[in-house]
Amino acid sequence: MKTVKEINQKIENGEAVVVTAAEMTRIVAEEGTKKAAEEIDVVTTGTFGAMCSSGAFLNFGHSDPPIKMTKTYLNGVEAYSGLAAVDSYLGATQINQNPEIGLDYGGAHVIEELIRGNEVELVAEAYGTDCYPLKNIETSISLEKINQATMVNPRNCYQNYAVAVNSTEETLYTYMGTLLPNFGNVTYSSAGELSPLINDPYFQTIGMGTRIFLCGAQGYIMGEGTQHSTDGERRNGVPTGSAGTLMLKGDMKQMDPDFVRGATMPKYGPTLYVGAGIPIPVLNEDIAARTAISDENITCKIIDYGVSRRSRPVIRETNYAELKTGKIEINGMEIPTSPLSSYKRAKMVAEELKSWIEKGDFFLSEPLINLPNRGHVVNPLEITRPSRLVKDIESKTVIITHPDDQIKDVARKLVDNNINHLPVVDNNGILEGIVTSWDIADAVAKGKTKLAEVMTRKVVIAREDEPVDVIARRIDKNNISGLPIVDKDNKVKGIITAEDISRLIGENVENENGEESL
Amino acid sequence: MKAWLRFLPSIVNKAIMSDAIKLFDIDFNILRAHITPRGGKMLVEISGPQETECVNYIEERGIQVTPIMKVVKKEAEKCIDCGACVSLCPVRAICVQDDWGIDIDNQICIACGFCINSCPTKAIILIE
Ligand code: SF4
Ligand code: SF4
Repeated sequence: MKTVKEINQKIENGEAVVVTAAEMTRIVAEEGTKKAAEEIDVVTTGTFGAMCSSGAFLNFGHSDPPIKMTKTYLNGVEAYSGLAAVDSYLGATQINQNPEIGLDYGGAHVIEELIRGNEVELVAEAYGTDCYPLKNIETSISLEKINQATMVNPRNCYQNYAVAVNSTEETLYTYMGTLLPNFGNVTYSSAGELSPLINDPYFQTIGMGTRIFLCGAQGYIMGEGTQHSTDGERRNGVPTGSAGTLMLKGDMKQMDPDFVRGATMPKYGPTLYVGAGIPIPVLNEDIAARTAISDENITCKIIDYGVSRRSRPVIRETNYAELKTGKIEINGMEIPTSPLSSYKRAKMVAEELKSWIEKGDFFLSEPLINLPNRGHVVNPLEITRPSRLVKDIESKTVIITHPDDQIKDVARKLVDNNINHLPVVDNNGILEGIVTSWDIADAVAKGKTKLAEVMTRKVVIAREDEPVDVIARRIDKNNISGLPIVDKDNKVKGIITAEDISRLIGENVENENGEESL
Repeated sequence: MKAWLRFLPSIVNKAIMSDAIKLFDIDFNILRAHITPRGGKMLVEISGPQETECVNYIEERGIQVTPIMKVVKKEAEKCIDCGACVSLCPVRAICVQDDWGIDIDNQICIACGFCINSCPTKAIILIE
């Protein structure tokens, strides 16, 4: 049994024994927990991953004449300014005002730019008051010039996280990176055995006021992060899903650009790569045993991101040892894996923190109050206007056609019924393809006669139990004007068009060629 | 060898490449192509014992050949070794090193551009 005070004394004397969490795993495997608990004082952890829920409070200082900023833009990225006159909060995922830049340069990039010491353009607007008469400002700021730049991240360092795969036939661009169709790749984001909250899964040493490594500076844990949850399934003490989170703060003026990076998840948006590390004091044998967790003992779940619902299906369980081999088996196929967080930099974080402690530059702090380790669940947001499902749409008798029908008959069907889409089905009503009036016009122009030659076989479909909003997104993304509704056996039940959807959700869904549908 | 071939508008329609393939019995693989009526360029892989003769032949006929060692370049200052690109490469040209750094093997790369579009820090560029 040791105390944090005793360990700090050892740090002061330059005698503390500090190892990284990866080293601890080997030490305990070789020497056992008892000996390790006696010999090791501190275990350092680290992670370097995309953490969307990050941002910074900035205080620009007062101009002359003064201004009460109501809108502020930094290099074209809006920061929230509904605070006192010259305070604002810049969120990492805020996208650029300029639609041509959009996702490519957002809040996270501005944060990196500031930490690098670069000048950033500030544009502010105001309505003008007696005490703050100025209405517009255009100037430039830098980290050095502004009063405060405090990074405050409401949710960082997820304890564990889902592993992503995509079962659909189209590429998906997500916060878990680019997911290739038909289980083409697998992405994961946790640093595994090096990850901070995995090494103290019941928060025996971590809580409000714990001093940590944050982007190369000494930062602090403010408390549990948003969506902190404690009661999910655990294996070897470690949650098998997202679970615990942290709210962190740190002074950007002390940060090092090597440990923070603005990034853009392709077609998803900006995010901030944050390097964070937590020192865990080895106070007793139990804590030593927890920090000895190895990649193969950390279970996580591969989730199908092809289903855009809140609860997505679990494809299988895995662990970080398997993921880190670079390939994994799903349904008999060997699938390549990608980490999204940098294990190389996570190790650098843990090593850097270790060297700070060894050099006596960093002392441990005892939390004022430990993070809660039970009783926290994440509640869903219920939509008061329930989301409508495809099957709720008033169904019209579905008009269909068969692959060996003649083009001219199909053309007549389209005209007679005043429609633009016709699902093509086999004798059992199973979907085989789709044909639009445009396809028919094209076929006539090219002198084709058989429907089978012109129909589209790769059909984007809607399932009966899918929410209409999900279909709206699908129509938008595929730039189509309508899609057939099928049941679980791929039997055609109806057709849903962009127009049906606009009527239902009151949103304008763009359709192909700007044509009117149905 | 991998090389960029540049064509002038006047020879876009001529069958220089197919003649060269027959004459020198080489393996010819088109990795990338941008061809317009105003000329164009192609990234190709040419291999076989008569590689050099083949290159000389097509150069003589007006195709500009620029051999390249690297197809794509990963900028070290920008890359954070996150690994997002690794599983996207269709030919497994990107791999995780022993120190967990990420490396691209240009010998294997076929310039599909997937990693370029998917890198969160835009660290990879196509060398043209
Ligand atoms: S995706 Fe980009 S930043 Fe990540 S490892 Fe590949 S090149 Fe480096
Ligand atoms: S360009 Fe394509 S082939 Fe080359 S490394 Fe990138 S993903 Fe692989």
